[in-house]
Amino acid sequence: MNSLDLKALVLLVVRLIVAATFIMAALPKIQDPISFTASVQGFQLVGSTMSKWTALILPWFELVIGIGLLVPAIRRLSGTFIAALLLVFIGLHASAWARGLEISCGCFGTEAGTTTDYRLLILRNLILCAATIWVVRRDCVREISFSSLAR
Amino acid sequence: MPALLKELCLIIALTAAGVAYSLISGQAPAPWTVAELDAGEIRFEDATTIDLIWVDARPESAYGEAHIEGAISLNEDNWDDALFNLMGLWLETPRPIVVYCASESCGTSKRIAERLRADLADAEIYSLFGGWQP
Repeated sequence: MNSLDLKALVLLVVRLIVAATFIMAALPKIQDPISFTASVQGFQLVGSTMSKWTALILPWFELVIGIGLLVPAIRRLSGTFIAALLLVFIGLHASAWARGLEISCGCFGTEAGTTTDYRLLILRNLILCAATIWVVRRDCVREISFSSLAR
Repeated sequence: MPALLKELCLIIALTAAGVAYSLISGQAPAPWTVAELDAGEIRFEDATTIDLIWVDARPESAYGEAHIEGAISLNEDNWDDALFNLMGLWLETPRPIVVYCASESCGTSKRIAERLRADLADAEIYSLFGGWQP
């Protein structure tokens, strides 16, 4: 196996991991939006109505961009949204940590009774964010190479 | 650029289709509908129309930063002293007591209201629906 094949294989594995994480995070929240609303409210940043809208839209958005990372037609923008969303999550967790909130993050649904280890959560999201940025950059490079070849 | 716009439209359309499915199938309650109250809960709008005693069940640090005017701090850490104050206030003029915490998910207000019902059996005690945020 040459280095080019290996790089492509690693890229595929990373892409699958990030996509699977987002899909797995979205499904329980789609099934139980009421519990997710409570998790959103736990962050004490938005009011009751706004948290209901967030709990309704965010899981579907996560699912679409999670699957989208695997679909060539929308994978660049899906990857960009995933990276942006992960940065928002990092900011939210840092804010909750700074305010001393003991809440369940609601990342993968209800996670009843569990409180968040913010350090672990922020580290996980940073790694996922870095991986996503790498995947998006590789996609853009490949896109540019294909465009110049086509000319 | 048009390619990115096409991607954006596709992502928005798929997300909107998912949201519509959740709403139509009844899996998710519509955000614009008013949620039903559980037993022993009261809405802020209703609570402000009556003369009552506000009880802040959040940590004392949060109470120190901001609280509903006239509220007394009562939580699991200062239970004995604060309960004594509350009893004094209630005996002076018996009126409903409304306990609040920071949000619908905090659960403290319901726990405190439950404990108060045991200690002040004659009082009318509610927990505030949706919590209170400064």
